[in-house]
Amino acid sequence: MWRFLGTRIAMGALTIWITTILVTLLIHAVPGDPVQIMYAQSQGTTPEQIEEVRRSLGLDRPIPVQYAMYVERLLQGDLGHTIRGGQPVLEVIIQRLPNTLLLACAAMFIAILIGVPIGFLAAYREGTLTDIALMIIAIAGISMPHFWLGLMLLFFFALELGWLPVSGNGWLNLVLPALTLGLSNAAIFARLTRSSMIDVMSQDYVQTAFAKGLPKALVLRRHVLRAGLLPVVTMMGLQFAFMMGGAIVVENIFSWNGVGRMAVEAIFQRDYPIIQGFILTFSVVVVFVAIAIDALYAVLDPRIRRS
Amino acid sequence: MTLRTTLRRYGGAAAVVAGLASPVAAGDIVWARYGDIDSLDPHRATSTLSLQVWSLMYDTLLATDADGLPVPHFAKSWEANADGTEYTFSLQEGVMCHDGTPLDANDVKYTIDTAFDESAPSLTKGSWGPITGAEVVDPLTIKLTLETPFVALIPFLADSFSSIICDSNGEGFGTTTAIGSGPWKLVSWTKGDRIVLEKNPDYKNFGKLAENPGAPHEDGLIITVVPEPQARLAALKTGEVHIAEPPFDDVPMIKDEGDLSIIVAENTGQNVFWEFAVHRPPFNDVRARLAVAHATDAAAAISLIYGDLSIQENCPVSRGVFGNDQDFCAQYRPAYDPEKSKALLAELGYSASNPLETALLVWTGGNRQKLGEVFQAQLAEVGIKATIEIMDIGSLNARVRQENETTTGTTGSMDMMTWSWYDPDILYALWHTPGAYRGYTSPELDAMLDETRVLTDLDARKAKVQEVFKYLLENAIHVPLYTPGWEWVFAVRPEVEGFFVAPFVYPNFSDVKLGG
Amino acid sequence: MSMSAQQDAPKAPPGFLRRLLRSPSGAIGLGIVLLLLFFAIFAEMLAPYNPNKMGAGGRFLPPGGKHLLGTDEFGRDMFSRILFGSRITLLIGAVAVGISLTIGMAVGMIAAFRRGWIEAILMRSTDVLFSFTETLIALSFVAVLGPSLQNAGIAVGVAGIPFYARTCYAAALVETSKPYFEASISAGARPARLVMVHLLPNVLPTMIVVATLGVSTAILAAAGLSFLGLGAQPPTSEWGYMLAGSRDYINRAPWLMTIPGIAIAITVLGFNLLGDGLRTSLDPVERK
Repeated sequence: MWRFLGTRIAMGALTIWITTILVTLLIHAVPGDPVQIMYAQSQGTTPEQIEEVRRSLGLDRPIPVQYAMYVERLLQGDLGHTIRGGQPVLEVIIQRLPNTLLLACAAMFIAILIGVPIGFLAAYREGTLTDIALMIIAIAGISMPHFWLGLMLLFFFALELGWLPVSGNGWLNLVLPALTLGLSNAAIFARLTRSSMIDVMSQDYVQTAFAKGLPKALVLRRHVLRAGLLPVVTMMGLQFAFMMGGAIVVENIFSWNGVGRMAVEAIFQRDYPIIQGFILTFSVVVVFVAIAIDALYAVLDPRIRRS
Repeated sequence: MTLRTTLRRYGGAAAVVAGLASPVAAGDIVWARYGDIDSLDPHRATSTLSLQVWSLMYDTLLATDADGLPVPHFAKSWEANADGTEYTFSLQEGVMCHDGTPLDANDVKYTIDTAFDESAPSLTKGSWGPITGAEVVDPLTIKLTLETPFVALIPFLADSFSSIICDSNGEGFGTTTAIGSGPWKLVSWTKGDRIVLEKNPDYKNFGKLAENPGAPHEDGLIITVVPEPQARLAALKTGEVHIAEPPFDDVPMIKDEGDLSIIVAENTGQNVFWEFAVHRPPFNDVRARLAVAHATDAAAAISLIYGDLSIQENCPVSRGVFGNDQDFCAQYRPAYDPEKSKALLAELGYSASNPLETALLVWTGGNRQKLGEVFQAQLAEVGIKATIEIMDIGSLNARVRQENETTTGTTGSMDMMTWSWYDPDILYALWHTPGAYRGYTSPELDAMLDETRVLTDLDARKAKVQEVFKYLLENAIHVPLYTPGWEWVFAVRPEVEGFFVAPFVYPNFSDVKLGG
Repeated sequence: MSMSAQQDAPKAPPGFLRRLLRSPSGAIGLGIVLLLLFFAIFAEMLAPYNPNKMGAGGRFLPPGGKHLLGTDEFGRDMFSRILFGSRITLLIGAVAVGISLTIGMAVGMIAAFRRGWIEAILMRSTDVLFSFTETLIALSFVAVLGPSLQNAGIAVGVAGIPFYARTCYAAALVETSKPYFEASISAGARPARLVMVHLLPNVLPTMIVVATLGVSTAILAAAGLSFLGLGAQPPTSEWGYMLAGSRDYINRAPWLMTIPGIAIAITVLGFNLLGDGLRTSLDPVERK
């Protein structure tokens, strides 16, 4: 198990390292002079000030040196300053990251809570009308654009019925965005759980258990559930990453003050320090969650634990 | 009562009772806007979004009356020398900064010194005029010395760009702290989300338009960011927000429903206009610029997007500002004439297979994106291929300058720029060498603009200002489109009394009382 | 001889089409996709108005009468815009999947073929890229290159490469790990022949399914970017962009929001169903 986890952690570190490289290169991929673009926004910037900025960011040095400077600052917790208003990027991100994480976790919770039982039920009643109906709903769920679902929910529950507030950051505000993200992904979990459970249930040892006359519920609980959930757990890491990505759009619809909204604003404002910080943060979060889930997987899967 | 309203009422009430909604204290006014300020430092930004907040947190030497003219405020009187090169201001006594230190001539000097600081000058340094020195004669008297006369100085000192910054401000000024002396003091600024202000109990109103002579009635003012117009409308209806800009298309419906009142600001001084990247083809040729101007039907476009809330403007500075004269400007303004536009394009060698291509830069918010689409369609009618690019105002400012400085390439760039100013001196900032965006300049224009700054006789100045108008209009350098243009419409909840918008779109909350 | 092998290879034994049509999802999916292709190809002939013409009708006309799907805030005909939008949607899907597929398959097959350290590097790289998630990659792309429909399409395409590479690699590995394969290589068999005769037939069915399902993901991703304003620009009648514009008029003209959303949903559904159907009919072993 430890070797398994060790590999995962190494991979994670590699990913983050590559991200820092990509993020440094990002500025140079922009057509035109990056410093001009960034700082020309402050109208009164003198050419001397621009040169000063160029020097302090190390953009006049060769790229490997720049990278070293970037990493050095990174290790000190300095992610640079926003172009608008000169606030430390780290601060801006830390202010809003918890909101996004909250949203992603809530959405994950909803997705699993709704998706897994549906998938399980469908697998249990494989081939029957229930199965078909549930899978039709699932495939419809996957096909629906989540931003459309968000708009519809906003329209019905906030505008028409006025049950839920439209913007802000209280608990009640979390409901609609989390539902939007969660429902879209519930369908994926449903399909996944279903195929996984069906696979397990067709295995010899399960069939034998049924044949032996063991009570269905017992078989399900002891054998099928655990084994069947394993692929689902593996997917959770990936799904969490998708949710983080989906949060970007959902945050915009509901004016939820998370890093996703911040990133889109930053793109329109060409505020590259924030964009770089966002990409890095996103990677780090996704890697961490993936490792955590892999650890969970390792604990659950006896094959891995034993090795 | 329909099912829908029943569900609304009980559902909403249940939620609030359950205590799950966002907490807002009873004595807080909530104002939602589509965007956030750029900085708390009056020297570091130019957006209206920033200006409006500065007017709440800081004081200025002068204030603006209902007609948009400067009157005494922190400076109770002033006199100038015969040349107009020295101004001495007498200040009110006993005014305090938010941190308890006194506000006096030293703070004024500090503000001016930082504005002119060579290593980090104010973004609006040019608008202060040719100030060479600020001298503290005594704590209640300050003397400004100018190199040459500058008649627009007085109106400038009434505007929030000249906000007086307390000299006790230190690190973090502009981003986390901001000490001023205005009716509201800063509690916190969460970037992109909200600014929380609380009332300044020691505030004294000497000259501002509010009836309230002292501190605001309500305890707090929360300025939130809600980019979606529909979300703002919904928040207004539920009472989460007291004052906000509604979706333009829903204004007639709101007026019909009658719960929310609609306030349209007057004397906004806002001017929305076309300007072009003139240092390269196609717009280095006046005919191309005129072709665009003749293809534009501003009246039809704004009627489509804003209904009757905005009107076409003929002059480079808007109604309510010194020098404006619709009839005069109408003579020189390129009129809507698609045929003439096509003729000019043909003259330049453009055709269906070789259309004039240009980027059309527009900034976010205020339905400007939609308006841009309408203009794009109008330009397409005469064969001009315009590609819309939307960005926020800060990026637009930077981009326009960048385009002006680019001398190669054949795709043009034009933009729908917006400036709000209380005096035609804005034209000096825009079009006198080097130009705010490094755009069009000429010695002829420079000479005219120089004169507008020094002529003290009102009639003579007006005539000169109008000469400038004529030049700008005939050469299609600054093609006016409409006014007002942004953030001038407010929807207000019924329980809010005393809300008004001062000239140049400065909402005022000092008189506001939240009824039951 | 290689010609006949090619003919047999990617398609399953005859009756594949029949099998596809027999499964309900396959049939419905195919129907939807063909219908969309029809709309996309014949948009000019089918559309009653120019999709960008403002004032083709009054503003905010509800569906019905001269304007089958109503008009938008500029008086543009929605039906025409949706029709032309289908062309854009399919094009973007094709471009994005095209990029993902070609590069992904190349990477995957090279990795499975070569083995050794090339394999390790390629697969580890895709693992890393994979964790970035499509949205982030697409966002970064657009942040750097600027918002435009082309950039959105390319971004989505690039973002999808890891997934296609991995899937192709796994499928190819089934063959390349077999003893006969290595034996053939050391015996001097030409790589091209090995690829065409042995590798491709095993990889193609899986990749076809993945690509079909991938079109739906790509369409959703591109629409999402356009929705944020980072993809299609005015006056393009791309569905995601139309959804973004409809936000302001939810109260006044709800059809502006529902219609493009339904269009996207049906398109995506069509490709999903087709993909599912292909999966069951192409691969006789895997049965749902």
